[in-house]
Amino acid sequence: MKLRVFTAILVCKIVRGLAKLVGRGSSLPGKYALKICPDILSELKLPELSIAVTGSNGKTSSVEMIAHILKSNGLKVAYNKEGSNQIEGVVTFLVGDSTMSGKVKSDVILLESDERYSRHTFKHFHPKYFVINNLYRDQMTRNGHPEFIKSVIGQAIYDDMTLILNSDDPLVASFGKDRPGTVYFGADKLPTDMDTHEGIYNDGKYCPICKAPMEYEYYHYNHIGKFKCTSCGFERHNTDHSLTSIKNVDGKDFITIDGKYDIPVFFTGIYHCYNILAAYTASVIAGIAPEKVAEALGGYILKSGRISDFTLGNLNGRLLLSKHENSVSYDRSIDVVVNDKRKKSVMIIVDAISRKYYTSDSSWLWDINFEKLNDESIDKIILAGQYCDDLAIRFELAGAASDKVEIFEQVSDAADYCAKNLDSFLYVITCFSDKEKILSLVTRRELS
Amino acid sequence: MNVKILYLYPDFMSLYGDNANVRILTKMLEDQGFEVEIIERTITDNDISFADADFVYMGSGVESSRNLAAKHLGRFKSGHIEALEKGVPMLFTGNSYDILGKGITTPDAGFIEGLGIFNYSFKEQSEKRYTGDVILSDNTTGDKYVGFVNRAGTPDVEDDLAFDVVKVIGNVPMHKDAARKNNLLGISLIGPVLLKNPVIADSFVKIICEQKGKEYQKIEYPHSVRSHDKTLKALMDSEV
Repeated sequence: MKLRVFTAILVCKIVRGLAKLVGRGSSLPGKYALKICPDILSELKLPELSIAVTGSNGKTSSVEMIAHILKSNGLKVAYNKEGSNQIEGVVTFLVGDSTMSGKVKSDVILLESDERYSRHTFKHFHPKYFVINNLYRDQMTRNGHPEFIKSVIGQAIYDDMTLILNSDDPLVASFGKDRPGTVYFGADKLPTDMDTHEGIYNDGKYCPICKAPMEYEYYHYNHIGKFKCTSCGFERHNTDHSLTSIKNVDGKDFITIDGKYDIPVFFTGIYHCYNILAAYTASVIAGIAPEKVAEALGGYILKSGRISDFTLGNLNGRLLLSKHENSVSYDRSIDVVVNDKRKKSVMIIVDAISRKYYTSDSSWLWDINFEKLNDESIDKIILAGQYCDDLAIRFELAGAASDKVEIFEQVSDAADYCAKNLDSFLYVITCFSDKEKILSLVTRRELS
Repeated sequence: MNVKILYLYPDFMSLYGDNANVRILTKMLEDQGFEVEIIERTITDNDISFADADFVYMGSGVESSRNLAAKHLGRFKSGHIEALEKGVPMLFTGNSYDILGKGITTPDAGFIEGLGIFNYSFKEQSEKRYTGDVILSDNTTGDKYVGFVNRAGTPDVEDDLAFDVVKVIGNVPMHKDAARKNNLLGISLIGPVLLKNPVIADSFVKIICEQKGKEYQKIEYPHSVRSHDKTLKALMDSEV
């Protein structure tokens, strides 16, 4: 064994131990190890089975579900739950799981992989399976745009990997072109599907390969659906594993996979269903029997709190966690609101987009289908946070009635207004980065 | 009185909420008492006529789309240039600005011919994005403009550009920006440029009023002014 490999492992383990002592998980240990040995990843002895997951949304959820399934089936799983999904984080968790000789002790390596950084990580280590769930307009201030992300993910793909792709997302599915052996998952036609595109922009309008117009038989949401190029013939691939139905039995929600496995779920949001389907597909392809995968998923309770219920004064409310700079996630939250037929109000909080400073980029607000909130059942629309002026103009041009809209620079003033003036159910739509600004002012309730 | 906005490639060059600019200008023109008609022309259309247009807008797209749009728009260059010479106001934002120059060298060393209205030509790469908040200054008026740049390339010459770059928070290599000729403004900023910069929006409204023979009324847009002022202050105060 090379001395620098040994030193890198030693330093990484010591720094990691120290960081844990002071209660901090970070990617710092991996950073040191990479300084000492830049190709440390190729020096580690890895297990045969490794799965990486990437995409704009749902990476963490899918990875946690796969980990749960594999563990429930007796496998020892190493995965980067410490958060960092860039190369330093990957090194940190792999060395953390290895012996001093560099042998990773787990049976499976499971990797949540940043869509921009997988090209760096995979230079030294090729996962056996690479799951790509979706590519949306997401954090374009750093990601550029989906086609740029597609090109950098393309640099992370090697011939010895098996791709596991969402067949309903044209940009994702295009990775499978000329790659026999690719595995596809997708949703069959569902009762909630639409014949025509709904939304402000349509990233599925033109073929990702030849740029000719595409036609859709149906849309599940945004540009996700059954597509076909009118020119080059690129089309939705038949699936190896499918979401076949979403149903409610005696007040409980279930999704059905491959026509026979009913999986109880806490909520049936369509992209949550895709995360489950991605986890199911990856686990089955990795060798777990389908019925065992379904059984494990049935016992799994999604931990990430996308929904938080609360009371504010006499009001009951629900926070729908979305992502700033990601119009698809906002569109899905808006669907939840408009599908609830009660009289209700909606608060949109956009207070901090960048953690560092007030950025000028509010362009993504114009990609969100706020027009859908022009519904009689909506009582008030409360716009809050530093970006309230941008929101005010966006809602004015969305056609929101001016007597319905209230605007507050401070989230606390918005909350006060709601507590004193509203008698309807209150939905709050905001991002991880802003959620505490409202959750710190309300009383949390158990989810009902 | 009717105003016709020619909206170029609304479904093809619509990457960064560019629809905001057409919607904001439409509202402002309606507030002036105009009826606004939006004429959309895109990549599958066989003809683009600039003859009746009172205003022309084009936004940003992914580079592969932008290159096709440049070639497509080139087919209608004579009408476009004629309208430009006539003084029809036009706004090109984001990377549609790139095609107003001599052309674009693509990462694979291909060359996409531009409209040749300005001297610059862009050179693009595919390894990284140039992104960041910027403050621009119009030294003739003292006005400051704010916005975000998100691009793949850099221009070779900046000598005929209109605005000085006061500050960049990000990795965008730029010292000057924005090309102006007659009533055309091309600017690298993406997204809702007319929301963030009410002075630019107002200047277009004034030109259109004048050209249509309608008296311009000063109308305040306080949210837009506050958004601009707040952004300018935050960017001024922010460390690079």
